[in-house]
Formats: sequence, C-alpha cells, structure tokens
Amino acid sequence: MKSFKVLSIMLIPMALQACAHESASVVNAGSSHAVVEENYDKFEGFNRFSFEVNNQLDNYVLRPLAKGYRAVTTQYIRDRVNLALANLKEPMSSVNNILQGEFASGLKNIGRFAINSTLGLAGMYDVAGGGFGLEPHPSNFDMTLANWCVKDGPFIVLPIIGPTTPRAILGDAFDGLGNPVVVATYNDANTRDKILYPYFALSAVAARETNMEMLDDVKKSSVDFYATVRSAFLQNRKQINKCGVNTETESQTLDYDFDFDMDEED
Amino acid sequence: MKKIFIAVLSFFMLLSNVSNAAIDEIKATDFVKKVVKEGIEEIIDSNVSQKEKVDRFRTLFNKDLDLDFIGKFVLGRYWRTSTPEQRDAFIAAYRELNVKTWSGRFDDFTGKDFVFHGTTPSNNADQLFVNSSVDMGQGQQPAKVIWRVKQNDDSFKVVDIIIENVSLAITARNEYAAFIKKAPGGVDDLIKNLQAKTKDN
Repeated sequence: MKSFKVLSIMLIPMALQACAHESASVVNAGSSHAVVEENYDKFEGFNRFSFEVNNQLDNYVLRPLAKGYRAVTTQYIRDRVNLALANLKEPMSSVNNILQGEFASGLKNIGRFAINSTLGLAGMYDVAGGGFGLEPHPSNFDMTLANWCVKDGPFIVLPIIGPTTPRAILGDAFDGLGNPVVVATYNDANTRDKILYPYFALSAVAARETNMEMLDDVKKSSVDFYATVRSAFLQNRKQINKCGVNTETESQTLDYDFDFDMDEED
Repeated sequence: MKKIFIAVLSFFMLLSNVSNAAIDEIKATDFVKKVVKEGIEEIIDSNVSQKEKVDRFRTLFNKDLDLDFIGKFVLGRYWRTSTPEQRDAFIAAYRELNVKTWSGRFDDFTGKDFVFHGTTPSNNADQLFVNSSVDMGQGQQPAKVIWRVKQNDDSFKVVDIIIENVSLAITARNEYAAFIKKAPGGVDDLIKNLQAKTKDN
C-alpha cells in the first residue's frame, strides 16, 4: 500500500490505513463527498462490533507481539525485514501496473524484484533503488479494478481483516495468488504451516511495529476511534477510486469546500 | 440589463481571483517553507529542553494556523448552535490536544526534508494547496504532504494539512460529528473529552 510510508513519520490517521492492510487494522472504501462520508457506512452496527473485536485483538495480541518484536530486534534488522516483505509484492505490482497500461512501471517492478532478490539478498537491501535508479512503483489489483472503473462497494469492517470493501477483498485475494510465498507453499500443507502462516504473522507484526507510535497516538487522542479510522480510510479510498486514472502517476486533484453551513446528513 | 451586469461582474470577479491566485502561489509556498523551516530547525532539531520545544511549538501553532477558521470547519453545523463560550472552549481544547499530539512526534521529524512541488488551486479563491513530499528512506516512496493555505490580506495561514490523502480537518470533523451525535451533552461533552485527553499521562 502506498500509504505505508508516511506512517513512521507523521502524526495522525493514515497510519491506520497502512497498517490496516497488513495488520488487521484497516484498508479502503468509496464515497463522493469527503465530509459527509458517514452516510456510506450502511453496516455501522456490525462494523463497530468488528472494529471493537479487532481493537481488543490489537490490545491483547498484535500490539504486545509488535512490542516484543521491537524489543528483540534493532531498527537496522527491522528495516531489512520490511524491505524483504515489500520485495515479495513486486511481482504482483508488476502485473497490476501492466494491467493498468503502465508498462514502464511494470518493467521497473520486475527489475527491482530480480535485482533485489539476488544482489539485494532476498530483498533485504534496495540495491535496485539505490545503484540502479529503479524507484519503487507499488500497485495492486484493487487499484487495477479502480482503474477499470469497477465499483468499490460498501465500507465494511471484518474481524481480523479490518476496514475494507468488497473490491479491496477481491484485490487482496487476487494479489495473494501471485505472492511468491503463497505460490511456493501452495501444494504442501507442511510448508504452509511452517512458512506461509508465519509469513502472514510476521507481516502483521512488522506493520504494527512500523506504525506503533502513530496508531497508539490516534487511539489515545480520538474521541471516537472508529469514526476517525473510517474517515481516514474513506478519504484515502476516494483518491484510489479514480476511474480510468492511474493514481500513482497522475497528479491528484484534491479539493473539498470549506463550507461551514453544509450539514452532515443523518 | 441585470444579466449583463451580473455577467460583467462575474467576469471581473473571475479575473481578480485568477490574479490573486497568481500572487498567492509563490508567497504561499514561501510561507509554508518558512513554517516547515521554523518547525524543524528552531524546534525539532534545536538543542533545547522538551518543555521549551513544546512552548515554541505552541507559539508557532498559534501564529501560523488559523485556528478559529479550522475550529469552525471542524465543528461543522454544531458551530452554529454553539454559544461563544462553547466555541472558545472548543478551540482552546482542540489546540491543546493538537499541540500535545504533535509535540509527542517530534522525533519522527528529526532530519526529515520537505521537497516542494508547486501548488494546486482550490474551490475557494482565497485558498490554495501547497504540495510537498517527505523522503521516507530506502525502498519507500516519499510521503505526500499537502498544505491548505488561506490568504488573509497580506498574511497567510495554514488551514489544513493533508497527509497521504487524509485531511486532518475532515478527519477531525467526521470524528467529532460522530461523537456529538451520540453524546447526551453534545458539544460540552466533546470539549470535556478533549480536555481530558490533553491531560492524560
């Protein structure tokens, strides 16, 4: 996810998004008016319930694990882990960039994967971005579907998975099929237990660790944590939902009126 | 006749907006650059106590953000039904919570560099977006940070910051609207809650 990055540096809500994706906290949905997006929460009762379940799972499982992970590793090691995990997404980024007609980006993804998997020692070092000038161009199937003008569907929060939409779920499922770890363990129950599930767990814990301060801050300073996450999620989603536009390469127009008299609809 | 008058009037209004926007761009960008520079050099990277940093940050926050404007937007329709006392109390509480939250994150900004990429017009003639990005390190795309800047005569104020597609003002507005809708004491409950969050730990 593109939103992955900011996290470590800044303050508020996007942390949620990024983390969401990987860590059972949050990822993406559709709306047309940024300010009135609450209306798009058709399943608020269920969503709030799932959100609270996830919040408790975070308090009692994921966050303690992320704290432990931080305690037994150094930042240097965690950087290597994060880069190696990100490297596993390059193949599907390539497929999706190509599906969106972004051939140059798609080729760069392949170059990055080839170079970083080998010279970069299983992706732990971004040699391609440094020495070869191949900058990251992440993409995913959800963005491809958005680019193809497929509708997002309603905002839903699922246990474990977190905030999402039907299209985002479809996107994750499709991208999962091309993940090298999934492919390598596909036919063997034994390697699934030993490699695939630990891989998912590590991804979640590493993402939570990366977003530790930000997520903790938002949790602490929100008067309605659910509403904060939903708002951030839907705003980010709105930028992804550009029919026929590649949101990575096109400059984004982001506007909303500072219209003080506008009512949120009930 | 009236139609012609309106047409001419709107033509001139359009012109003046365009020319305003042209003046804005450079000055507004310079203003944001100055705010970032002050924030990073004189507060975050400076060699003073955390308490002094927080005090300096509060000063910067009050000077360069239009908090009345932001508060009005963030409270939305509840602004209109609030008393002047509630409005003042809300803005004070909102400011202190933000000062507290942001100053807890100073370390994350240490050594960060903002790169500026021009401006984007907004729907409001007196406001525009100043685009910037922050390097996030190896293997990561830079983070996108957009500043919504409002011009009041000759002075500029930040009225929103949009980080990776997420507007802080819209997020707060949605969050507070959701809270007030369910709170028996309405805006007063919100103010109390924000004050309590500022005091915690």
